[in-house]
This record gives sequence, C-alpha cells and structure tokens, in this order.
Amino acid sequence: MSLLTFDSVDLGHGAQVVLPALSLTLEAGQHVALLGQSGAGKSTLLGEIRRRLEPRAAWCPQGHGLVPLLSVYHNVYMGRLAHYSALANLRNLLKPRRADWQAIEALCDELGLEGLIRRPVERLSGGQRQRVAIARALHQQRGIFLGDEPFASVDPHQALRLLERIQARYATSIVALHQHRLALSHFDRIIGLHDGRLVLDAAAGELTLARLDALYPDAAGRSDGSVVNIPT
Amino acid sequence: MSAAPGWLRGDSPGLTLTRRSLALILLCLLLLPLADLRIVTADPWAELARMALGFVRPSFLSLENPLHAIALTVSVALWGTFIGALLGFPLALIFHRSRLVRAFCAFVRAIHELFWALLFLQVFGLSAVTALAALAIPYAGIFAKVYAEILELTPRAPAAALPAGVDRLSRFLYAELPLVWDRLASYTRYRFECAMRASVLLGFVGLPTLGFYLESAFREGRFGEAGALLWIFYGLIATLHWWGHRRLLPWLLIAALFWLGPWPDVDGGLLWRFVSHDLWPAPLLAGDLAGMGPWLAAIPDLLPAIGNTLLLALMGTVGSLLLALLLWPLASRHFGRPWQRAGGKLLLIVLRSTPELMLAFIFLLMLGPSMLPAWLALALHNGALIAFLVARHADGLTTGMAGLPASGRYAYELLPRLYPNLLALLCYRAEVILRETALLGMLGVATLGFYIDSSFEYLMFDVAFFLLLITAALNIAVDAISRRFRPREVPLDDPCSR
Repeated sequence: MSLLTFDSVDLGHGAQVVLPALSLTLEAGQHVALLGQSGAGKSTLLGEIRRRLEPRAAWCPQGHGLVPLLSVYHNVYMGRLAHYSALANLRNLLKPRRADWQAIEALCDELGLEGLIRRPVERLSGGQRQRVAIARALHQQRGIFLGDEPFASVDPHQALRLLERIQARYATSIVALHQHRLALSHFDRIIGLHDGRLVLDAAAGELTLARLDALYPDAAGRSDGSVVNIPT
Repeated sequence: MSAAPGWLRGDSPGLTLTRRSLALILLCLLLLPLADLRIVTADPWAELARMALGFVRPSFLSLENPLHAIALTVSVALWGTFIGALLGFPLALIFHRSRLVRAFCAFVRAIHELFWALLFLQVFGLSAVTALAALAIPYAGIFAKVYAEILELTPRAPAAALPAGVDRLSRFLYAELPLVWDRLASYTRYRFECAMRASVLLGFVGLPTLGFYLESAFREGRFGEAGALLWIFYGLIATLHWWGHRRLLPWLLIAALFWLGPWPDVDGGLLWRFVSHDLWPAPLLAGDLAGMGPWLAAIPDLLPAIGNTLLLALMGTVGSLLLALLLWPLASRHFGRPWQRAGGKLLLIVLRSTPELMLAFIFLLMLGPSMLPAWLALALHNGALIAFLVARHADGLTTGMAGLPASGRYAYELLPRLYPNLLALLCYRAEVILRETALLGMLGVATLGFYIDSSFEYLMFDVAFFLLLITAALNIAVDAISRRFRPREVPLDDPCSR
C-alpha cells in the first residue's frame, strides 16, 4: 500500500531548492533508513514527509528540540499538547494530570529513564535527553514514526535497543541515521542521498556495507584519517 | 616592497572603530570651550575632606528613624518594578508588530523617572501613587523593549518539534517562555537594582525615601549622617542577592504594601482639569495658532538649554569612554595582583551603584554650580559601569601569547577583542546619559531639566510639559543616532548593560 508519492518535486526552503526533481514512493508497513552525509538533504526530505503525513506521523527532531527548564514529564507531555485546551495545558504546568503522569512514567521506565520523570531536562546527560525526545515522539500516539537522527547521541548498543523498542511499536518508520550496520540489519529499505540527489534506493538485503560507505566519498578520499561516518 | 601605510590608514575593523572614536573625541574637544566649567567654590579640597571624613566616620546614631526610609525605599522599588513588569510584558508580546506600541514605549522611557515624579506630584502630591507611577511608567516602556528583544532570541527548535494544531498559548507556555525565563528574570532583577537607585532619588523631589534624608544631610553639612546613609544604601545594594532572594520576593511584596503610603485623595475634577487644560498652551486650547509664536518666544533660553543638554551629553559620553578605557584593567584578572583587583572591583561597584544625581550633588557642593560637577558625575558613573562589564567580558577571554608585558596584553591581546563591545555598550549608554543630563538640570546646571524644574515650581505646567516633550524627542533622536553609530557585528548578549 502506498503511503506517499513524490513525482518529480523540487523540495527546499523558500526559494532555495535542496532536492531538485525528486521522485520517490514510500510504502506503508516498511521500515525505511535514510542515509547520507550532513547537508545531503535528509532533513529537508523528512520535513516534507512530516508535513504531508500530519497528523498521522510521530516526530523526533534532530538535536532533540527539548525545553531545558521543564521537567522530563512536561517535555514528554508536549507530544500531546494539541489534544488538550490551553486552560488544561496551563493547569498541567502547575499540577500534572494523573492519567498522563502514569502513562509517561511507564514510557520513561520502558526507555531507561527510571526515576528521572521529575528532573529538569537541563540536568540530564546527552543520551538521556535523546531518550526524552524519543519518549515525546512515542507519547504522540500516532501510527508512523519519523526520526531525524534519533540515535545521534547514544552509543551503538543503546541505539540498537531503542530502535527495537520503536520498531516493536510501529509497523511503519522512516529514520535518518548514520549507523550503517544498524541500517542493514534492522531496516527493510535503504534510501541514500548525496548532494540533493537520490543515489541509492534498494531493499536492505541487496546491499553491503561497502555500498553504503560509498555514499560518503569525501570520507573515503581523505588522507588525514578523519573519517566522518563511523559505521557501527 | 610597499610603503608602510600612514597614520590610521587601513580598513581593518579596529582602525575603523578607532577613527570613529577619535572623531567623537575631537568633536568634544572642539566644543569644550562652549561649556561652563568654572570652579565656583573657594576651597573645594577642604569641602571634599569634610565629606570624606563623614564617609569614613559615619554617625549612624544621629539618624532619626532610618528604618522607615529604608523600608519605603525598598517598597517603592519593589512595587515600581513589579507593576512596570506587569505592564511591560503584554506590551512586549506585540512590540514588534505595532509601530504605535514602539513609539509609545520609546516616549515613556525617554523621560527620566524623576521628571515623571515631578509631573505626578502636581496631581497626586507627595504620595505612594506618585512614587509608584514615576517608576512603573518608564519601566513599562523599558521592559516592553528589552523583553521583546529577549523573546525574539527564543530558540525555535522546541516549538518546531511540537505537533501541528497546538494553540498559541500552550505553545508559548511550554516551548517558548521556559527557554527565555532565566534571561527575563535576570533582566528584571537588574532593573530592580536600577529601581533602588531611582527610589532613592525620589527623595530629591520630596518623597521621604533615603534620598530625602541624604539631600538634607548633605545640604546642611551634616556629613556624618550623610556618610551613614550612603553606607546603608551601599549595604542594601551589596546584600541585594541575599534579601532579594527569589523565595523571599512574594513575602517582601506583601510586606511592602504596609510600608507604602500615604495614599492620596484624588479629586477627579482636578485631575481632568490638569490633563485637559493645565498641560497645554493656552493659545493652542483657544485654537489660536498664531498665538503660539509669542508663547514659544516667551520660553526663556530654550535653544541654549537644548544646546547645553546636548553638549553635556556629548562630554559625558566621551568622558565615559576615556574613563572606561582607563578603569577596566583595574577589575580584570589579566592585570595586577588579587588584592589590587579586589580594590579595583570595589571602586567600580561603588561608582556604578551611586546614582549620578547623587554624585553630581556631591561634586556640586564641592565645586559650585557649573557643568563640571555634572560632567564628572556622568563620566565616573557610566565609565565605571562600562568598565565593570568590559572587565567581566575580558575575564572570559584567554590570551594567545603568554608572557607579554602588561602594555602589550592591553593593546594587542585584549583591547582589540573588547573594543567593539565597549563601543556598543557606550552607544547604549549614550541615550541613558542624555536622559540623565536633562535630569542634572534639577541641581542648577543650565540644561533642560533646570527649566523643567523651575517651570513646575512656578506652576507653568504647559511650559514644563512642552519642555518634557522636547527632552523626550531629543532622547529618541539620540537613540536613533547612536544605534547607527554602534558597531553592528557585536551581539550584546547581556541585556543588563542597558
């Protein structure tokens, strides 16, 4: 079943085109990994997918987008901010809603944030913040998961566990990431972008690590040994 | 081989700023002969010695009931700031959208707290309403502007991460306000410190705050008492973070209500008459536009007063620049020994905590009524304030080359990095300096404030109000000019510099 089709569309911000003449069809029921260097156009593509799938897609943005001064509870609650009236939201800032509190506590326990629900996000580590951002996306309770590098600040083992949790909940997900092994082992389909062009679109089973590393020609060609991508 | 460039030739940013600054200093030097800088008193040093003695040997015991004055000073500052913030916050939300709101805010903050006090004094007498309105109204304008600037810098990522369909209020409360709360709170705190100074100054127009007792003690030569009152004021400012703690504030606000007073009986008819009739020129009210010419001509010394105000503001700005350049190393970790630095810091804090009007008043008693005491006061206060902020900025920098002599550190390592910021601070202060220049007229210096004060004294409210409008217009104009002059590339992350 087709989820979404781009038929030779120019994507970008305002007048600046990042992805010219993009043609792509996404299917429901697939886990899709989006690979490519920083600046290749992953965020632009995800932003457009998010816009078209609203209000069906949960969203985990790049760089977390959390509010440091608020507690973990309030940050996760923000996933469902649109479900309540302004007055109810205002009240919740002063006195958390019981039902949401319990749901969010369970979610935090599941994602390895036990006992941190009251803590302000500014006092969390990078990895913990990453989990809060994922928890907020899950709390939206929507059918499709969209993530822009949702595992950027956790180690490979944690990334694997978080990904398994996400895929257990969602039949359909589209995730931008840099972990090539994870892309090969846990996704159905891999889309590669380079410099605003779609250079790779294949089932994960047909691909090898070497093919994926070719998406990062700058890193391969470097002589100083500083490799941009760290395949895991 | 190319020839080395001549003096001040080149287009590096540092040289550009140097040329601009030198032009400003040159302009000031050219106009300096026009200023009245006489020393009128016979023996200023003896006077200074007596004051210093009073400061060193304060006589706390001869103060009559200082607690009441302290409580009133703090109460007025607290509620003035609080009401100002309450009025300013909603204005900040529409500040960038409405030209009318921006103009209104520019107008109310262009008039100094003390002039507002003089205006309200005519209607509400020596009452708490006069004191609170004098602080709250200009502060509403300032809060609106600064809050709006802070809100503009809210990080966008959290709001962008929200699902679609979130209502405006929830978005603001969850994904915007918490991100800037600290900055808003720290600016409000700084403004409260300013309000403490302003509240003291309200004593100069007769409200019984600390300034009232300070003025009379100085005027009558009771320097021991004056010294004691000054120590109390510095003590209040120095311990502010302790007694003004976040948790204590609600209780302080409630307690302050009991100290505020007296509350006036407002006669609605009189108030209306004042606003609709007394403030406006009689020919204008009669619809006689031709009559405005003679009315304007009857205002004494209008142009010299404007000229003096602008000249003193220029002198004050240039003086602050030179003093800031001299003083900032005193408080910076890059220079001197720890004990010297502690002394330097203390000096800068004392100079910046003392209200200019107070400094000017002290110099006036020493030197007699000319522009000299006003100039000294403006330059010392603002120079110290800028030096303090620059020193703090310098302490955040690490020098690239170790082992340079002090002059090399100053001129090559630090000043080039600090100067754009210093100049930007100075441009922000230029508006404040002009506002205070007008105010210093109340001490007898022939700036606009002198004529405003005397017009109120002679009950010529229409003239006083007209001069207030001129003062406000000058302020807005100078603000616009200094905005143009200010180095653009430095973001001033510290709103407390304004």
